[in-house]
Amino acid sequence: MSRSFTRRAVLTAAVGAPFAASAFGDASLFVPALAKHAGRWDARASGLRRLAWELQKRTSVEVALEARPLALDSPRLFEHPFLYLSADGELPPLSAAEVENLRRYLTFGGFLFADANDGSDGAGFDASFRRELGRVLPQQPLTALPSKHVVFKSFFMLDSAPGRFLNKPVLEAALVNKRAAVMYSQNDVLGALNRDESGTWEFEPSPGGSRQRELATRLALNIAMYALCLDYKDDAVHLPVIMKRRR
Amino acid sequence: MESFDTWKLVSLSPLPAAALALLVTALVFGVALACWGVRHEAQPRRKWLLWTLRLVGGVCALFFLLEPGMRWLQVARVKNRVAVLIDRSASMGFPVSPKGPTRSEAVAQALEALAPQLEAQKERYAFELYGFDPELGPVSADTLKAQPPTASRTDLFAALRAVQAGQGGGSRKLSGVLLFSDGVDNVDLAQGLSGRPRAVLEKFGVPVSTVAVGKGSLLDLAVANVQVDDFAFVRNSVSADVDIHARGFKGQSVQVVLRREGQVVGTQAVTFTDDDDTKPVRFTFTPDQTGRFVYTVSVPVFPDEAVVENNVKSFALKVIRDRVRVLLVAGRPSWDERFLRGLLKQDANVELISFYILRSTTDVSGALNESAELSLIPFPKDEIFHTKINTFDLIFVLNFSNEDPQTALTYFQRDIEAYVSNGGALAYLGGDRSFGEARGGVNPLDSVLPVTTAGSAELESFQARLTADGLRHPITALGTGGLSTEAVWSGLPKIPGMNLVRAKPGATVLLDHPFATVDGRNAPLLAIQEVGRGRTLTLATDGAWYWAFPSHAEGAPTRAYERFWSNAIRWLVRDPDLTTLSVAADPPSVEPGRPVAVVVGARTADYQPAPGASISVDLFSAEDGRVVGQATAVAGPDGTARVELPAPPPGAYKVVGRAEKDGKPLGESSDAVAVRAVGPELSDARVNGALLKEIAGATGGAYFDSPSFSLSDVPLLEPPLVEVGRSKDQPLWDRWYWLTLLVLVAGVEWAVRRRFGYI
Repeated sequence: MSRSFTRRAVLTAAVGAPFAASAFGDASLFVPALAKHAGRWDARASGLRRLAWELQKRTSVEVALEARPLALDSPRLFEHPFLYLSADGELPPLSAAEVENLRRYLTFGGFLFADANDGSDGAGFDASFRRELGRVLPQQPLTALPSKHVVFKSFFMLDSAPGRFLNKPVLEAALVNKRAAVMYSQNDVLGALNRDESGTWEFEPSPGGSRQRELATRLALNIAMYALCLDYKDDAVHLPVIMKRRR
Repeated sequence: MESFDTWKLVSLSPLPAAALALLVTALVFGVALACWGVRHEAQPRRKWLLWTLRLVGGVCALFFLLEPGMRWLQVARVKNRVAVLIDRSASMGFPVSPKGPTRSEAVAQALEALAPQLEAQKERYAFELYGFDPELGPVSADTLKAQPPTASRTDLFAALRAVQAGQGGGSRKLSGVLLFSDGVDNVDLAQGLSGRPRAVLEKFGVPVSTVAVGKGSLLDLAVANVQVDDFAFVRNSVSADVDIHARGFKGQSVQVVLRREGQVVGTQAVTFTDDDDTKPVRFTFTPDQTGRFVYTVSVPVFPDEAVVENNVKSFALKVIRDRVRVLLVAGRPSWDERFLRGLLKQDANVELISFYILRSTTDVSGALNESAELSLIPFPKDEIFHTKINTFDLIFVLNFSNEDPQTALTYFQRDIEAYVSNGGALAYLGGDRSFGEARGGVNPLDSVLPVTTAGSAELESFQARLTADGLRHPITALGTGGLSTEAVWSGLPKIPGMNLVRAKPGATVLLDHPFATVDGRNAPLLAIQEVGRGRTLTLATDGAWYWAFPSHAEGAPTRAYERFWSNAIRWLVRDPDLTTLSVAADPPSVEPGRPVAVVVGARTADYQPAPGASISVDLFSAEDGRVVGQATAVAGPDGTARVELPAPPPGAYKVVGRAEKDGKPLGESSDAVAVRAVGPELSDARVNGALLKEIAGATGGAYFDSPSFSLSDVPLLEPPLVEVGRSKDQPLWDRWYWLTLLVLVAGVEWAVRRRFGYI
C-alpha cells in the first residue's frame, strides 16, 4: 500500500498531535459543519480545513481539522454549532425540512457563516442565498455590521472584511436576540485560504495578494472566535485596552 | 336688694320684639316727618326749638313704648380647671444631679412646696394632677415618690392634646396647663417644635407653662442616634451615621467602635469641643455575606456617668445581593463556555465578568506587532484572584489548565480557599485540561472541590444518571416532582465524555455515570459540597452544552439546560428561596425587656409546605456562643410556626432554627436579632429646656428652668362663665313724673306751633 505525502497529509500530521491527546470527542473541539446541498457545496472544504489549522496554530482553541459534511435537515447539525455554507454559483432552493431545521438551528444557538464563493452581487450565490435566508429567518434580514462590531476585534483588530475578493468592505449579519446568528461575506473569505491537491494556494486574492490573504485569514479566525465567545470582547473590562489600540 | 349682687337694664314690654321694632320705626318716621314739615321756617331759632320739642316728645313716647326696667340678679362664678402634667417617662428616673434625687422625686418635692399656693387659689381654679406615660392618669406627690417612672417614650404633644380634649376626667373649662418634664421628647417633638405641632399649639387656646426638671451638669456619654438603611447590598459599601452625644466631656476624645456580632468592623475617634456636644461619626463598611447581622456601636463607659446603658446601641442590617456577580474563567474558548456565557448574559440577575485564555505561549499569532494587531489583554489573575476575589458571588472555572506559568492559578490557592470558606461560591467544570487530563501539576482548586482525580477520562458517550440525592436536590429538580425530574434527565442528550473523579467524604453526588465506576461506585458527574460558609460544585465534563443545543435537534424546545444552571447558581449563592427552612426574627431589633419572636417556615425536600413538622429554635449570643433561650413548636398547615423566647439581656444574638418531619431533618437556618440596651427614652440623659421654652412661648405660657417658682407667675385664663341663681325686675317707666313730662312737652309744642302759625 502506497502512502501519498500530500500537503494535506503533512498538515494533518502536524496539527494532529496537540488535539488528539485527551479530547472528549467532538464536543470539546471546534469542529465546523459543512452544509451539503444540491449545488457545489464543498468548494471550500480545503479553506475550512485551513481555518481550523490556523485556529489551532494561532489560538488556544482545540480543533478537529476535518469539517463534518451534513445535510441541512440533519439532526446531527446540532452537534456542531458552527456551520459553513457556500456555493460556487447559485444555491439551489432548500427543502421545507431544511428550512425548518436551519431555522431551529439558528434560533437556538447555532452559527452560520455563509460565503459567496463566486463573489457575486445580486446574482448567483448572492441572490439565491438572500432568497433562501429570507425563507429561514423572514423576520431577521441581513444588515451590514458596523466597523465597531465585536467580530472585528474578537481576536485580531480589523477594520475591513476582505476575502479572495474585496467586492464589499463589510460583513452582513442576521441577528437573533442581538446575537449574529448568520454572518455573510460576498468576498469569498475561505477562497483566500483554499489550497489545491498539490498544496498550493488555489486562488490569488485580488487586489491585495498575500497581505489580503493574511487579512482574510484573520477575518475567518475572528468569525470563528465570535462564534465561540460571542461578545466577550465587548465586556467592559476589555474596552479601555481595545479603544486605546484603536487610536 | 342686699341679696342681689348685680343688675342690668331690660325692656319689660309684653309686646313681641317684632311689634316693638315696628312701633319704634313708626315713631322715628313720625318725628322725622314732623321735622320735615318745618324745614322752611325762616328763623333758625324757631326751627331748632320745634325740632327739639318734637324729638323730646318722641323719646318720651319711646320710653313708654319700651317700658324700661331694672333686673336685679344673683350670680356665682364657676371654677375652671388647671391641668398639672407630670412626665412619667423613664428618663424622669435620672438623677437631677449626681447622687441627687431623681427628676420624678424633684417634681414631688416641688408639688409639695406649691401646695399652699394651690390651696390659696382653690376658689378660682381646680388643680388636677396628671401623669402621662403618655396616657393621662391621676397622680400625686406620694405616688411620684413611691412609683418610679417607667414609660418607654415621652410624647409631650400627645399629652397636651389629651388635656385639651378633656381626657383625664376633667369636665371644667381649662384655664391653663403646668407641665413638669425634662423635655426629652422622642416622638413628635423629637426634632423640636415646628410644623403641624407648632401650628396646633399656637392655637391651643390656653397658656401652657413649662417647668424644666433636672440639671444640665450630668456627666453622660451616649450613642444618641444611628442611621443606617434597613438593608445593604453584599460587597457594596454601606454607611452608618452615628451621633455621639456627650455632656461634660469638653476637650476629651473617645473611641467609637462598630462591631459585627463581636468582631470589630471599624473604630473612630471623636473629640468634643463643648460641654454639651453632639458629634457625627460615619462608619463605611462592606458586608461580605448575605443574611441578617447585628451591628453594635459602642463608646467607653466613664465613672460617674448618669446613664451607662446608652453607651451602646445595636441595629440589625439585612444584607442582600443586587445582582449575582459572576466571574467566568475559561481555560480556552469552547462550546461549553459559549453556551454558558450565552445563558449568563441573558440572565438579568447576573452581572458577568469573564476572562478566557485565548492564546497560550505555544500559539503563534502571525502578527508582527501583537500589541497593535491583537485585541488580547493580559490575564489579570493577581487582581481577580487576590485583590478582588471577594467581590464575586460566584466563580466559574471552566476546563482550566495550570500548565502555563503565565496563566496558572497555583499561587492563589489560599486566596481561593479563603474566598470559599468565607462564603464564596465556586463551580468547576471539567474537560480535556482538567483532573486526570491536566498537565499542569496540582490544581489549586482541588482542596475546595467536592471531588478528586480518579484516573483518565471516560470518553464513551453516556446518559447522565440521577442519583437518589439528585432526585431530591433543588439543583437537579428540573421537573415538578420526582418522576417528572427523572423523565427530564433521561430525555436529555448523551454527554460525549467525562473526567473520572471520586467524591470526597461529605460531598453529595447528584449525577453520575451509568456504568463507569470508581472505587466500586458509579463515577460522579455532578457533585456538590459545603466548604466553611461557602459552597462548591463540580461538573466533570465540558460537554454540558449538549443539554443546551443538541437537545433542540428533535424540534422539541427544552429549557432543561437553563433551569439546571439557574438552580445551580441559586443554590451556590444561597438564594433564600432555595432553602427548605427559613428562619426570621420578627422584628429583627427588639426593645429591652421584650421577648424575641421568631417565624420559622419548613418545607419538604420537594419544597412543599411541611405541616406538622417539629421545629426547634435556639437563641444564643453572637459574641460568645452561649445559649440563652430555646423553644419548640409544631408547624401549622402552611408549614410555618411562630415562637417566642423570653427576653434576653441586651446584645447581639443568633437564632438557629431546625426542623424535622417523620424523623427526617428538613434543614437548619439562622437569623440575627439585636436586643437593644436602652430604648430611645433612656438613650439621652440631657434636659431639653429649649423645647419646653418653645412650648411655653407658642401657647402664651411661662417657662421655668427649675421647679422653684411662684404660682402667681403662671399665666392662667380667668374663669369666663357666670351662673344665675335668681332675679327680680323693677319697672322704671310707671312713674307719674314721666307722664307729666310727656304731657308737658306735648303741650308746649302745641303752644309753640300755634304761636308760630303752624296750627
